Amino acid sequence: MGNCFKSSSNDDISLLRGNDHHDPALEPAPFVEPPPPYRPQQRMPIFHPSPGVSRPANQLTEDEQIKIAQRLGLINHLPTGKYDGTNKKAKECVICMNEFVFGDELRYLPCMHCYHRECIDDWLMRSFTCPSCMEPVDAALLTTYQTS
Amino acid sequence: MTSMEKRLQKELQAMTKDPPVGVKVNMESLSSNLSEWVVDIDGATGTLYEGEKFQLGFKFTPRYPFDSPQVMFIGRNIPVHPHIYSNGHICLSILTEDWSPALSVQSVCLSIVSMLSSCKEKKLPPDNAIYVRTCSKDPKKTRWWYHDNSV
Ligand SMILES: [Zn+2]
Ligand SMILES: [Zn+2]
Repeated sequence: MGNCFKSSSNDDISLLRGNDHHDPALEPAPFVEPPPPYRPQQRMPIFHPSPGVSRPANQLTEDEQIKIAQRLGLINHLPTGKYDGTNKKAKECVICMNEFVFGDELRYLPCMHCYHRECIDDWLMRSFTCPSCMEPVDAALLTTYQTS
Repeated sequence: MTSMEKRLQKELQAMTKDPPVGVKVNMESLSSNLSEWVVDIDGATGTLYEGEKFQLGFKFTPRYPFDSPQVMFIGRNIPVHPHIYSNGHICLSILTEDWSPALSVQSVCLSIVSMLSSCKEKKLPPDNAIYVRTCSKDPKKTRWWYHDNSV
């Protein structure tokens, strides 16, 4: 007698079949988060996603929020320092037109123009240029951030 | 005092103490919080506008100097100029997209005076008729396409 190949019967397979279909009625209800607490929004910051466009922070699109976060990150990379009178050329902040006084917090742009940190940060959120010389504030850095 | 008022107060002081030639702040026109000014402008001698008097109206938002001021010619005499519409609107880039907070009432006035002084032929902008009929009251709302700057 030769060796006969014996094919397996279907019976074994049928044994493996369980009752595995889902019954939606038995699934737990999806968890619903409670709404966030109401907050009065008297001090909603206004952002300027592009020149001429201003919007309260809660009405920004996701893209605009990302752009603003990136911009804030870039601004925070620019050097700051306290006014100590050593830089004889920088005497006043052309944005508020006030003379610098000892201890004022300044921010320096790559073109070496400097302003009160508070004054220039406000402007840089709108336009990433130096108000005095209109030089773009490190355009190279800006593009690497935007494309990454 | 808001930061807008503080800055305008300083600008006003400087302009009354040491006024540039042909530019004078009209003191009666100032609103109490300084958000509106009228500046009297004289056409410079030796130019097409010599002897003429004009008035510029300035309006500032509380966000000045981050927001540019609204600036236009007002009153009866509007200069005839290729960048000035007959309703007083001025097509000048520093008033919109090239605005910088380092600019001031004085520097805006001086730019406008020099724009007038360099004019070689008194004529209206080519699109004056349609612009004046269709534009917004606020020139800052106009999406200007900047004509050539050679005039
Ligand atoms: Zn300042
Ligand atoms: Zn600069």
